[in-house]
Amino acid sequence: MPHPRTLVGIVLLSLLLVGCAGTQSRNTDPEMDPWEGYNRKVFAFNQGADKIFRPIAVAYDKITPDPLQRGVGNFFRNLDAPVTYVNQVLQGKFKESLSTLGRFLANSTFGLFGFFDIASQMGIPFYNEDLGQTMASWGYEDSRYMMIPFFGPSTFRDGTGRLADSFYHPVGRAMHGYGEWGLLIFRGIDTRARYLDQDAELNEAYDPYVLMRDVWWQNRQYQIYDGDPPMMDYDLYLEDYADEEEATTAGGN
Amino acid sequence: MKLQILLLLALTGIFSSGALAQTQGDDPVSLVENITGSIFADVTENLEEYTANPEALEELIRTDLMPLLDINYSARLILGRAGRGIEKEKIEEFATSMSNLLIDRYSAALLQFSSQIKLRVLPQRGDLNEKLTRVRTRVTLPSGGEAPVDYAFRKTPQGWKAFDVVVEGISYVTTYRNQIMPEVQANGIDSVIERLNSGQLELAE
Repeated sequence: MPHPRTLVGIVLLSLLLVGCAGTQSRNTDPEMDPWEGYNRKVFAFNQGADKIFRPIAVAYDKITPDPLQRGVGNFFRNLDAPVTYVNQVLQGKFKESLSTLGRFLANSTFGLFGFFDIASQMGIPFYNEDLGQTMASWGYEDSRYMMIPFFGPSTFRDGTGRLADSFYHPVGRAMHGYGEWGLLIFRGIDTRARYLDQDAELNEAYDPYVLMRDVWWQNRQYQIYDGDPPMMDYDLYLEDYADEEEATTAGGN
Repeated sequence: MKLQILLLLALTGIFSSGALAQTQGDDPVSLVENITGSIFADVTENLEEYTANPEALEELIRTDLMPLLDINYSARLILGRAGRGIEKEKIEEFATSMSNLLIDRYSAALLQFSSQIKLRVLPQRGDLNEKLTRVRTRVTLPSGGEAPVDYAFRKTPQGWKAFDVVVEGISYVTTYRNQIMPEVQANGIDSVIERLNSGQLELAE
């Protein structure tokens, strides 16, 4: 198959959406989401595309028994290992990278191509790394939020990282014409199926766009800090009150 | 699903018999530790009774959980600047509405999943602060995976109280705040309280 032009397509689509982004004026978080107008367009586009993907994911979820679905999840997770490994090395996490290598070997062989997560049963820890996290650990900590057509929430840093990682990701490389398109689509369906139970929450939220951004962003920070992010500063949330409180209660509390 | 169940179940970690909590250590880790044991034991033991009569479980949770939570503080964090100029009573009403809704959902989740899930409390580490601390727990799922659930505690004159739950890095206070604050600003707090009371508002994880 000749090189599919998907990437070019996504880039063009993004530009197109930028073109019509001017109408959205309100901005809920100028600091982390300065491209909110554009991002909301892509969010709406993705929600539209989901009208096609969701029924497929629902059907897949319905006909696939849980153990089988878990196996499929394991299979795709195992194929992330090369990207995790490379990025662990880039971050100097050599000990952890050996874990990832061991997991990959065990699961790919005894685990029947990753379908069974033998490594977890053996007690080998699981890690997840990618170039976005690597760049964050190198000091590129703040990056603007960016919705990507079809792929969803990301940042400029993480989107770039994802693109770079995809060149050697066993599934992702299909985007560049080297691998199996079927696998990439299958992974998409499997991933979508895992979020089905959160659809109601999202749809009924006061602002679904912000909800998705919040959940993704916080979880991403959590990944970047390897599960141990600094405790957030709750006092900031009360600062909005501060002047009023002091005025009315004369420094009480 | 995963996230939601975790959040719901995880919070049940602080559902407990208040009596038990008093007789043992009153630092946050002990609080969570003692409680996880007792609540799961209680629900497992009386599962049939509670299934037949969910109100009993809700009542148990309401009376035993509340003393350990600082819902008014959570409410203030969530309302942020939208809480400006709103009288204290209104904010407390909002806090109660929200906690009622949560209790409904927690008890439902508890009935459904308590038999399949295990909780593990990690020892205190870092972040130890005179006024604020974080208790880390791990929830073991039936699939064998483990998910992290943290509780934020603050010291009040009445002892340590929890005011936030953080599941896989996602803070419930932050997430609610960004939904509720603009809604209150747009529609007013009465309309939000009304929605909460009618159970319509399916809040995010």
